[in-house]
Amino acid sequence: MGGFSKSLTGRVILRVDEVEKGLLVSLADQVCEFVSPEPHGHSDPLAAIVGIDMDAEFPDDPAMARLFPDAYPDDPEAALDFRRFTQRSLQEAKLAHARTVLQSLSKSGEKVTLGAGDVPSWLGFLNDARLAIGTRIEITEDNHEELADLPEDDPRHGMFHVYDWLTYLQESLVQLLLP
Amino acid sequence: MSSQLDLALPETEVVVDRPWITLVWNDPINLMSYVTYVFMEYFKYDRAKAELLMMDVHEKGRAVVSNGTREEMERDVTAMHGYGLWATLKKDD
Repeated sequence: MGGFSKSLTGRVILRVDEVEKGLLVSLADQVCEFVSPEPHGHSDPLAAIVGIDMDAEFPDDPAMARLFPDAYPDDPEAALDFRRFTQRSLQEAKLAHARTVLQSLSKSGEKVTLGAGDVPSWLGFLNDARLAIGTRIEITEDNHEELADLPEDDPRHGMFHVYDWLTYLQESLVQLLLP
Repeated sequence: MSSQLDLALPETEVVVDRPWITLVWNDPINLMSYVTYVFMEYFKYDRAKAELLMMDVHEKGRAVVSNGTREEMERDVTAMHGYGLWATLKKDD
């Protein structure tokens, strides 16, 4: 396992083998697809330009609901208004993070050097991917062992191991950033 | 003797400066180190304060991380959602 480290010149470096790199590319592609705003049909195109989405609703999908939670849990009307004014911009920000990650990974080699401005995007992407997968496998604070022991034919088996690896990567990146 | 004082000013509403709060809620996915990092990075809290708030979130289930006007709190909640933290706002009571 590689993880993040700092070069002598202070650049953040990720060491991954080809399989891990392929996995990260595939995850970043999936996050792009997952967070991409729906193309606007009848909505106001001017509103879309300034980031307002009058069609936004509370997401049915639990992972989407986790990535874009209600800001006013006791006031559905205010929560919906807030969502209409913020969700589209949030989706675009998360999309930009995943695209930055894809850009970093497009260079060849097992040593990925992050540009100074790329670090927040990597951190955001790793967290978004963990939120999406963790919600899907219904992780709690107490069921890690149970998920780790799932038989290989359980679809959550692979997802848990990817989640676990992403956790390791994110932790190694955060530790570099904490003063 | 005190009559003048008793003719007190008409009742005025107490002006509350910072009536809205941003809450961050515990969840099983966000890393403790990451939550600390976010509090330091976004709110510019020092590590001790950021860790204290993070531990409150972790142990008590939630913590008030900022207060201010409704607009300010909406901005903070949006930022927290950007980082992937589970945040809400409400009027302080």
